[in-house]
Amino acid sequence: MTKLKLNLGPQHPSTHGVLRLILELEGEKILSCEPDVGYLHRGMEKMAEKLSYIQYLPLVDRIDYLAGFFYSELLCRTVEKALDIELSSRVKNIRVLMLELNRIASHLLWIGAFLMDLGAVSPFFYAFRERELILKYFEKVTGQRMMNNYFVYGGVRRDIFDLEDVENIIKILPSKLNDYEKIITDNPIFIQRTKGKGSLNSDVALNFGITGVNLRTSGINLDIRSNDYLYKDIEFKPVVLLGKDAWCRYKARILEIKESINIIKQILGKLKQSTGVEQTFVNPLNIKLPQGEYYSEIEAPRGLASVYIKSTEEKTPYRLKWRTGSYYSVNLLRKLLVGEYLNDAIAIAGSLDIILPEVDK
Amino acid sequence: MNINEFNDIFQNCELIDEKIVIKSDLAKTIEFIKDNYGFNLLKEIVAVDNKEHGIELIYRLYSTENEESVLVSFVVNDFAESVSKIFESAVADEKEIYDLFGVKFVGNDELKRLYLPESWEGHPLRKDYVQNDERLRWND
Repeated sequence: MTKLKLNLGPQHPSTHGVLRLILELEGEKILSCEPDVGYLHRGMEKMAEKLSYIQYLPLVDRIDYLAGFFYSELLCRTVEKALDIELSSRVKNIRVLMLELNRIASHLLWIGAFLMDLGAVSPFFYAFRERELILKYFEKVTGQRMMNNYFVYGGVRRDIFDLEDVENIIKILPSKLNDYEKIITDNPIFIQRTKGKGSLNSDVALNFGITGVNLRTSGINLDIRSNDYLYKDIEFKPVVLLGKDAWCRYKARILEIKESINIIKQILGKLKQSTGVEQTFVNPLNIKLPQGEYYSEIEAPRGLASVYIKSTEEKTPYRLKWRTGSYYSVNLLRKLLVGEYLNDAIAIAGSLDIILPEVDK
Repeated sequence: MNINEFNDIFQNCELIDEKIVIKSDLAKTIEFIKDNYGFNLLKEIVAVDNKEHGIELIYRLYSTENEESVLVSFVVNDFAESVSKIFESAVADEKEIYDLFGVKFVGNDELKRLYLPESWEGHPLRKDYVQNDERLRWND
């Protein structure tokens, strides 16, 4: 049979960004896959070397526009670690609240978009309806729906308020998740399109540097939150499943949302006990990290995210490097799509939750 | 994992600032660490251009079983040994480092421009990189 080269992309809705896959096909079977990235490259690491720490802070939300809080938190905690700043417990709780709300919003968008990739249009609107509640709250507190720029070195930009909105969100969400499960989880068409598709063994996943939900559905319990200083007093159980396939990755994200709701419930109790936020003032015009190398990591919705900073006591970092989960997921496509059929390619690529701004940096 | 024990096997390394600094045989050492100490995840490779001291590559290895990390550091100039046969994820890291630093990894045959266009000159994260964009001269 003659071989065919097919260009999937550069603008395909399943990628939520601009990813180009060069597929080699025999009939409908994929022989090889070559991802072509870089359409959204903004030079995040080069910019860091030119900008002072306070100038760079608003930009980092844009690395992953769906989970901006995580990247702000990463940069803030690295600088705080270097400058030896201890956060007050209320600031920590506010940060965890925002991070977990952000995780829910990110997973909800993924559920909607993934189902849309598979041809189901209505779940997209349902998921966006619930995500809207979270974004409205973000807008109220931070002034922005996305790219919030809310965390600052030493604290948060302003104190949190209207916690009853969050209570409302976590009251509504579980029943809505049940609705999703009713229409999606056991839907025969959904099962046929995702069960057993894109099966990922744990050793392959580790070899390709896959982290986050995609790794935990292969049975490896790697959730950085268990060692995270922000989550020290919080009880939670990492979601670890053994299904390995696209369906399992969907199920795991639903369970992660439920787990995040549990965390938020605990946080709300703590936030209500205290008032007035105590912050450490850091002079924004004169942030210089002591000489040395600093590294922090966090469990972002799309896997392990980390930042490495090398400082030479200048106003700008000497070198700053981001690690993002999606970058390795894109690399995994070279292996995961081989031997699959073209119509499954979208389901598999979509199930990995790839965000292209995060890949291109 | 005990660094001294490790040092006996490979006389090419020493411990500086919590980093295992290797002098030679990069791929062999990393393979040894992976096979014998269970470091099964290469989190990332960081490249830092230290000007006249060459380009430092930092390999961040993690063991999911023992939940511990180790840093392996290696200084290169323009050529380095690829570890892509040991860790598949290194293909991605090495591609990025090639694009931004110009380090050629021997044994990785996927090296080409990743983020930047094929026609781009130079490697932007090198400290000797000269920004040569014509737009900078438009106001002259």
